[in-house]
Amino acid sequence: MAVPTDEQIIEQLQLRRERRWSIYDHPNLIRSASVLVFLLLWEFFGRETDPILFTYPTAVAEAFVKLIVSGELIKQLAVSLSALAVGFIASLVLGVALGLALGMSRTVEAFFEPPINALYATPQVALTPLLMMWLGLGFSVKVAVVFLFAFFPILINTASGAKNVSAAMVEVARAYLAPPRQILFKVICPAALPFIMAGVRIAIGRALVGMIVAELFTAVTGLGAMLSLYGNIFETAKMFVVIVVLAGLGVGLVRLTQWLERRLATWKETERALG
Amino acid sequence: MALNTLEQQALAELDLPTRRPFCLADHLGAVRAVSVVFIIALWEIFGRQVNPLFLSYPSAIGRAFLQIVTTAEFQRAALGSLQVFAIGLLAALALGIAVGLLMGRYRLVEYLLDPYVYALDATPRIALIPLLLLWFGLGISSKIAIVFLSGLFPVLMNTFSGVRTVSAQLVEVGRAYGAGERKLFTKIILPASLPFIMAGIRLAVGRALIGIITAEMFTAVTGMGALLVRYSSALATDKFFVPVILLALLGVVLSNSVERLQRRLAPWKETERAL
Repeated sequence: MAVPTDEQIIEQLQLRRERRWSIYDHPNLIRSASVLVFLLLWEFFGRETDPILFTYPTAVAEAFVKLIVSGELIKQLAVSLSALAVGFIASLVLGVALGLALGMSRTVEAFFEPPINALYATPQVALTPLLMMWLGLGFSVKVAVVFLFAFFPILINTASGAKNVSAAMVEVARAYLAPPRQILFKVICPAALPFIMAGVRIAIGRALVGMIVAELFTAVTGLGAMLSLYGNIFETAKMFVVIVVLAGLGVGLVRLTQWLERRLATWKETERALG
Repeated sequence: MALNTLEQQALAELDLPTRRPFCLADHLGAVRAVSVVFIIALWEIFGRQVNPLFLSYPSAIGRAFLQIVTTAEFQRAALGSLQVFAIGLLAALALGIAVGLLMGRYRLVEYLLDPYVYALDATPRIALIPLLLLWFGLGISSKIAIVFLSGLFPVLMNTFSGVRTVSAQLVEVGRAYGAGERKLFTKIILPASLPFIMAGIRLAVGRALIGIITAEMFTAVTGMGALLVRYSSALATDKFFVPVILLALLGVVLSNSVERLQRRLAPWKETERAL
C-alpha cells in the first residue's frame, strides 16, 4: 500500500485545516468590548448620580467641547506646557553637565554626593511650600518645582552613565592624543547617552507631576489650577476633562521620550531602575 | 611591596619618590566629610544673615526639632500620617500583587483590564487628588485612597511583568508533574516573580510617601503634610524643616528595609524594572 500523503491523512482523520477561532487571537476585540461595556455602564449609572459628585461620559465630552470653544483649555495648557518646558530644559542642561562632572571625577563625586543624596531622598513635594514662600505664586515657582522634580533622575543617570564608560575606550582616545574636549564629546557623551535617555524618560513623568503639584497649590493659572478651581465649585465634568487631558499628556510625553530613546540611543539597552 | 636591592639602588640614584604623591582621590571619605561640614557651615553662616522668615539655619532647626518633637501635636500628626500610609500601602500591595498575578497568568484578564491599567498608570495620580477629596471628604478615607492609588500601579505593573517573564519551561515541568493551578501559583509563579514584585514594592513605598504628603498638604487638616503647610504659612521656617528632614529619613529607612527584605526573600535574581 502506498504511503498516504499529508493531504490524505488530513482527509481521513477529518482534521481541521485552520486553527479554531479563538478569542485570544483578537486581544483588541476583548479590549474594545471591555472599554465599551465600561463606558456604557458609566453613562447609565453616572446619569443617576448626583452631578456634583459624579459625571458621565457624554457630559465630559460636552464639557470638553465647551472648554475648547471658550479657549480656556488651550490657554491654560499653553501656560502649563511653557512652565514644564522651561523647567525641564533647565534640569536637562544642568543635570547632564553636573552628571558628567560627577561621573568623570571621583573627587567631585565624593564632594557633591552627600548633598545630592540628601536632597534626592527628601520627598520633593515637601519642599514646594518653601519654594512658594521664596518665589511667590507666579511662573517662576512652577519652573522651580518642575526643575526640582526632574533634576535628580537626569543627574544620577548621567553620572552612572559617565562612570560606566569603558576605560579602554577613553585610553584609546588618549593614545591617539585626543584633547579632553574631544574625549568628552566623542567618547563619554555618546557612551553615556543611553543612560541619559533613560533618566530623561523617568524625569519627564516626574516633571509633569511637579507641574501639577505646583499649579494645584498656587492655584492661579494652568491645568492644575483649573483642576483645583472646578473641584471647589463642584464642576465634576470639567474636572474630568482636565484629568483626561493630563493623562493624555502623560502618555504622549512618555511615548515621545521612548521614540527619542530608540532614535538617539539604539546601541545599548541598559537602564538603571530609579523610582 | 618588597623591592630587591637593585631596584632600591636605582630608586636612590634617581632620587625617585618612594611614596605615591598625595592625591585627593585617595581620600574620598575625607572629601565627603569636608563636603558635609562645608555645606552645613555655609548654611549656618549664610542662613543667619538672611531674614529668618525665608531661610533658617542648622542650629535653629536643631533647636526647633527638640522643641517640636516632644509636643503632643507633632506626635499625633506623625502617628496619623503613618497610620494612613500603612493602611493605604498594605491595601495597594494586596490588590496590586493579586491583580498583577491574574493579569500575568490569564490572558483574558489581561486584555480586559489592560486598557484601564495603562491609562491610570499614565495619569499623574496627583491630578486625581481634587476628585478624591470631592468623593471622600477631607478625612482619613480620602488620604488612604490617594496612598492606595499612588502605591498600586508600581506593584501591579511590576508583578504583571514579573509573571510574564516566568519561564514557560518551569510552568510546563510543574504541570507535567501534576501540579494544580494553586500549586503552580504558590510554588512556581510567585517565587519566580518575587524579585520583580519586591522591586515594585520599593517603588511603591516612595510613591506612597509622596502621595500622603501631597494629600495632607492639599487638605491641610491633619498629618505631617498639614504641619508643613501650617509652618510655612506661619513663616516658621526653622520648624518647617523638621518634618521635611523626618520625611526624608522615613523614605530612606523604608526603601533600605525593603531592599534588605528583597535580598533576604529573593536573593536569586536581581532584576528590576525601570519605571
